[in-house]
Amino acid sequence: MRQKLGPSTIIGMIAILFWCLLPVVWIIMLSFKPEAETAAGSPQFLPKDWSWENYQSVLQDDLFQRALINSFGISLIATVLSVMIATLTAYAIARLEFRGKRVVLSIALAIAMFPVVSLVGPLFDMWRSLGLYDTWPGLIIPYMSFTLPLAIWTLTAFFREIPWEMEQAAQVDGATSWQAFRKVIVPLAAPGVFTAAILTFFFAWNDFVFGISLTSTEAARPVPAALAFFVGPDQFNPPYSTLSAAAVVVTVPIIVIVLLFQRKIVAGLTSGAVKG
Amino acid sequence: MAAIEMRNIVKQYGDGFPAVNDVSIDVEDGEFVILVGPSGCGKSTLLRMIVGLEDITSGDMIIDGDRVNDKAPRDRNLAMVFQNYALYPHLTVYENIAFPLRLSKKFSDQEIDEKVRAASKTLELDEHLERKPGNLSGGQRQRVAMGRAIVREAKAFLFDEPLSNLDAKLRGQMRTEISRLQKRLGITTVYVTHDQTEAMTLGDRVAVLKSGLLQQLATPRELYEHPVNLFVAGFIGSPPMNFLPAKVNGDEVELPFGKVKIPKEKAEKAQGKGLLIAGIRPEHFDDASVVEESKKQHGSTFKAKVDVVEWLGNEAYAYIPYEAGSEAKEQLQQLEKDLEGESLRSQLVVSLDSASEIQEGDEAEIYVDTTAMHLFDPESGENLTVGI
Repeated sequence: MRQKLGPSTIIGMIAILFWCLLPVVWIIMLSFKPEAETAAGSPQFLPKDWSWENYQSVLQDDLFQRALINSFGISLIATVLSVMIATLTAYAIARLEFRGKRVVLSIALAIAMFPVVSLVGPLFDMWRSLGLYDTWPGLIIPYMSFTLPLAIWTLTAFFREIPWEMEQAAQVDGATSWQAFRKVIVPLAAPGVFTAAILTFFFAWNDFVFGISLTSTEAARPVPAALAFFVGPDQFNPPYSTLSAAAVVVTVPIIVIVLLFQRKIVAGLTSGAVKG
Repeated sequence: MAAIEMRNIVKQYGDGFPAVNDVSIDVEDGEFVILVGPSGCGKSTLLRMIVGLEDITSGDMIIDGDRVNDKAPRDRNLAMVFQNYALYPHLTVYENIAFPLRLSKKFSDQEIDEKVRAASKTLELDEHLERKPGNLSGGQRQRVAMGRAIVREAKAFLFDEPLSNLDAKLRGQMRTEISRLQKRLGITTVYVTHDQTEAMTLGDRVAVLKSGLLQQLATPRELYEHPVNLFVAGFIGSPPMNFLPAKVNGDEVELPFGKVKIPKEKAEKAQGKGLLIAGIRPEHFDDASVVEESKKQHGSTFKAKVDVVEWLGNEAYAYIPYEAGSEAKEQLQQLEKDLEGESLRSQLVVSLDSASEIQEGDEAEIYVDTTAMHLFDPESGENLTVGI
C-alpha cells in the first residue's frame, strides 16, 4: 500500500536532504571554481565562471593517477578476497556443526570492535621487518582483517535464511555439496554477498589511517592519503579547488557502485522458494 | 526403475530416541507404496533415509540390489518431491526442470531441451516455462517440482507429503494426477502422507507406522477390512471405527447398548478373555427398518436414542451416546491420544441409509452386521479376530 505523503513529511524530507547534501554540493561548487576565486577571502556559493580546469589538472597529475590505481587495486583485491573467505566461513557457520563455532564468531566480533588506531603502531613495526611496508599486500591484509568480521556476520545471517531443503533438493538432483553450494546457495545469497562486498569496498576505499601510516611513497599510497600530500606551491594556501575536484573524482566510483548494486541488494531473491 | 528393500532399518538420534525402529518394507519394482501415520511416527525420516538425507543407524537399505547405506544422495539416482517443493527461486521453471539433467553432464543441450519440453507437456507447464517459481500458484509450483522429478530417469520417485500445502480441491485433482502419472510411467514410488484418503486411494500397498514401528503393511482393502490392531483399525477409515467395551459369553457379545450374537468362529477366538474391545465400522450399522430381511439374518438389532443426525445426501450419520464404564476407558483414551483425536464423549457413530427417516431424538431400532465386528485384546491392542 502506498501512503500519501503529508506536507509535514515532505518538509521534513527536504530539510534532511538539504542538511545531508549541502556539503556535497559545496564541494562540487568549489571544484568548478578557478583557483583565484577560492583564494579570495570568502568565496560565493556559485562559481563566477565554471571551469573544468581543476579536473584536468587533477587527472593529469601523476601522483593522483598512481594513487587512484593503488586505491582501486587494493580495494578490489581486498574486497574479492574478503568476500570469498567470508562466504565460505559463513556457510560453514550456518550449516555445519563443529567445535569452536562460537569462538570463531566471538573472535570475529572482537576484531571488529578493536580500534584501528591502536593497531597502526604495531603494524608499522611488523610490516617494516616483514618487508610489507609500503606495498599493496601491506594494506590489503589489514583491510581484509577489519572487514571480514562484518562480512561473516552479514553472510551468516543470509545463509541461515535459506531453507535447508534447497540444498537437499540439489543433492537429490545429483549435485555434490560443492555444486549445491555454488549453483543454489550462492545465487540465493547474492544480495548478502553484494552487501558484504560493498561494505568491504567502502571500508578499504575510504580508509585514511592505514593508508597514511603504512605507506611512504606512491608505490602503495591510496587516494585519501595522497590527498593529504596534495599541496600546491604555497603550503599555507592549499589549492582548495583542486582538492575538491579530487574529492569529487574519488566519490564518483562509490556512487556508481551503490546505484549499480542497489537493486541486487534490495531484491528479495528468496521469495517463492518455498510455500510461504 | 528398481525395487527398494528396507531390512530392519533403525534410526536413532543423538539422545538415543529411536525415530524409526526395526522397520522392514519391501517395495517391488513399479509398486506404489504409501507410508502413513500420525505426525512423529517416523514416516518422513524413513523416506529421507531411502533418499540418503538421513544416516541409517542400523539395518540395510537396498535399492536395485545394491546396499546404499553409505552412498551420497546423488549416487542413489532417486527423484524426490519435497513438501514445500524446494524449487530454485533464482532459476526459471525451464531451468528448474533442467537442473538435474545439467548436473549429470550426460546430455547435450538439445537432448535436455527435448526432455524438459516433454516433461512440461505432460504436466501442462508449457506456458510457464520462462517464469520464475515465485510468480506461480501453489498447484503450478507443485507441478514444477514433479517435473523436476520425472525429467530424469530416476530409479524411484519419493514424495514427502507433496499435497499438504494445497487447498482441498486442488489436492483431489493432483492426487488423481499423481496416480495417473505413476501408472503411466510404471515407476517405483514411495509416498509419505498423513492423509488417509491419499493413502487409501493412491497406494498399491500401505505401510501404517506409529512411533517408529511398522504396524501393518497391506493393501488398502486389507487394512480397512482386516486391521491387525486397534491403532490401524482406528487410523484407517473416516468416520473412524467405533470402539466399545465388550464381554463375550458363548456366541453372545455384551455391548453397552445390549447383547448381540456373533458368528461362532469369532466367538471361539475370544472365549475366556474377560473384557475386550469391540470394533465396528459406522457402515456396518443401519436403520433396521430399511435393511432387507435376508441381510438381517447375519446381524442383530437393538434400540437406542439418537442424539444428532448429520444428513449428507447420499447417506447420514447418527450419533448415539452411551456410558462406557470405567474398565476399558483408559485403553480407549490412550488410543485416542495415539490417533491425535479429541473426542469429548463416548458415542457411537452410525451410518444410515439415505432412505432412513430417523430424526434427532428418536428412539430408533438400529441394525448391526455382527459378521464384520472385530474383537481386540485391550492390553496388547491385537485384533483377535483377524482374517475372519
